[in-house]
Amino acid sequence: MLSIKNLTASVNGTPVLKGIDLEIKAGEIHAIMGPNGSGKSTLGKVLVGHPAYEVTGGEVLYEGRNLFEMEADARARAGIFMGFQHPIEVPGVSNAAFLRLAYNKKAEAEGREELDPLEFDDFIHEKIKLVAMKEEFLDRSLNEGFSGGEKKRNEILQMAVLEPRLAILDELDSGLDIDALRVLGDAVNQLQRPDRALLIITHFPRILETIQPQFVHVLSGGRILKSAGKELALELEERGYDWVLEEAAAGGLR
Amino acid sequence: MTTVVVGSNLLGDLLSGPRPAEWASLREAAELRLAGRELPTTSDEDWKYTDLKALAGIAFGPAPRATVDISGYLLPEMVGTRQVFVNGRHAPHASCASAVPAGVRFFPMSAASEACHSLGTVGNGAAKSLFEDLNTARFEDGAVILVPKNLKVALPLHLLFITEAEAPAAVFPRVLVVLERGAELELVEEHHGTGTYLSCPMVEIRVAEGALLRHERVQREGPESFHLGTLKAEVAKGGQYHSRTLSFGARLSRQQPWVRLAEGAAATLDGLALLDGHQVADTHSFLHHAEPHATSHQLHKCIVDGQARAIFNGQIRVAPGAQGTDAKQQSRNLLLSGSARVDTKPQLEIYADDVKCSHGATVGQLDPDELFYLQSRGLNADDARNLLTYGFAADVFTRIPVASLRRVLRHLVMARTQATSLGDLS
Repeated sequence: MLSIKNLTASVNGTPVLKGIDLEIKAGEIHAIMGPNGSGKSTLGKVLVGHPAYEVTGGEVLYEGRNLFEMEADARARAGIFMGFQHPIEVPGVSNAAFLRLAYNKKAEAEGREELDPLEFDDFIHEKIKLVAMKEEFLDRSLNEGFSGGEKKRNEILQMAVLEPRLAILDELDSGLDIDALRVLGDAVNQLQRPDRALLIITHFPRILETIQPQFVHVLSGGRILKSAGKELALELEERGYDWVLEEAAAGGLR
Repeated sequence: MTTVVVGSNLLGDLLSGPRPAEWASLREAAELRLAGRELPTTSDEDWKYTDLKALAGIAFGPAPRATVDISGYLLPEMVGTRQVFVNGRHAPHASCASAVPAGVRFFPMSAASEACHSLGTVGNGAAKSLFEDLNTARFEDGAVILVPKNLKVALPLHLLFITEAEAPAAVFPRVLVVLERGAELELVEEHHGTGTYLSCPMVEIRVAEGALLRHERVQREGPESFHLGTLKAEVAKGGQYHSRTLSFGARLSRQQPWVRLAEGAAATLDGLALLDGHQVADTHSFLHHAEPHATSHQLHKCIVDGQARAIFNGQIRVAPGAQGTDAKQQSRNLLLSGSARVDTKPQLEIYADDVKCSHGATVGQLDPDELFYLQSRGLNADDARNLLTYGFAADVFTRIPVASLRRVLRHLVMARTQATSLGDLS
């Protein structure tokens, strides 16, 4: 589904990604872990086309298409979604209207029937149950005045509405209490299908207890230093990141 | 009727029209203050950016009697609580007060002058502006609203001022609102029109102790018109006055709200101006924290396209001894074209030491992070831009309690921000 080869990227002329290779197949769940400032979030943002990052080399194929030939909105309509660590507040636009618009733009692109406000109302009421969101949040302006946790809930609601094929979730657990994390983790699990893939970006292994990856990658200094199965997450929980960094240094990777 | 001639200037010409007989002493006092004066020019600091030269050369005569079809202006919540004024005069057949709750007095000034003993007395401590005096000298009719003690009016009241000018005309709408102790009211005031005309409305508001007035003001004057409005509100101890002024129309408009807050009173003075072409919209507001522990919030937003120009001057005065004042002012401006222009200026005068006063102003384009967020959800760049522009404006009116008015504004703003193709944004 997603094939990343020797990807390099910079922000304001400073290299942040220094050669990333990663293969993600349909049905897989991958976790990218690493210390703060390692480039984890950058990887996600580069994949969804954030304009602040410049791709300086390498190649990314998404379902066989050159990702970098697609605008950010085209990537979204093609099924790529990123749940952001810090979702933006948009005053004046109701959450429900925004969700309906996003849903219909994707439906239009896929040649599916668009939903009118009444039909969408039924549809969205099923979806908010999945993320245990209170109805009043639909009428409020998009993310405006939402707490950190409410914003994350809203990101997963958007994911549930858009049903992406590739979802990238950046630091989903930040700002969430244990109960909310479980609810959203379960929701993400329910949305996972054999034809979909997940890329979880996280500093803390906690979230990987609920959303269990088959593959864990440690990213630091703009490179993937180590890749292994989910047992790596447990090891990182116990030992932190330093040993991976040291191991990589000893191996001459840095 | 008597005729007064004050020199050969435009102001004099405006005053040379017929003078109604009622409120003679009020009018005489106003005329005395106006004697020898002329319209301000851009060399006057207060009018630096708003050039009234465009008014010169237009001979504004008295507005003739007219009847208009008001069906397009009616809002369902207020069908039975409306007073309509056409070309400055009350239109009894277009008005309907059948649903106005018992106790509330809501009538045209021409019908009951005796109830208007407080007319012209709001803000007596402050200097009277030229346009306020002009209105006082010349208004023919207007609305009076009196809400008795502790009555919380369930239905909103609707004031419609419509001007249809076949030849250049001047109108002087007048409004007096008095809320007694603990009363509550939602008031919608709208201005519409066609043709070349000058509208100089004057609104006086008295909010007694613990009373609450919500006031939505919609200016949709015709594209060839001039709107020079004055509002004075006095809010007594613990009273609340929350207003939004939405300016869409007029070739040139100016709003001059003046609000005086007594102890523990609260005010909101939000504004939106949506401009294009060669429109000019100016807001010169004055918030007077005269006593301790009053709160004020002011969010003023402008979206300026074409070669239009927006001006905001937000004066806040915290009087000596007005400790515990909490005043917050924000001026946010969106420029949609390279030739659009905004001049924004906060003006804080603080004479007390234990106060919280903040102000901020931004002028610019849409936030790239917001644009990207919407694009990352599948909206193309144009749709994202239009949705954000719409949202920037809608932020000011989404909390209006009258649903039908919200709907009208939504459609109006969607059309002006190219957001119509985005479907229903409710």
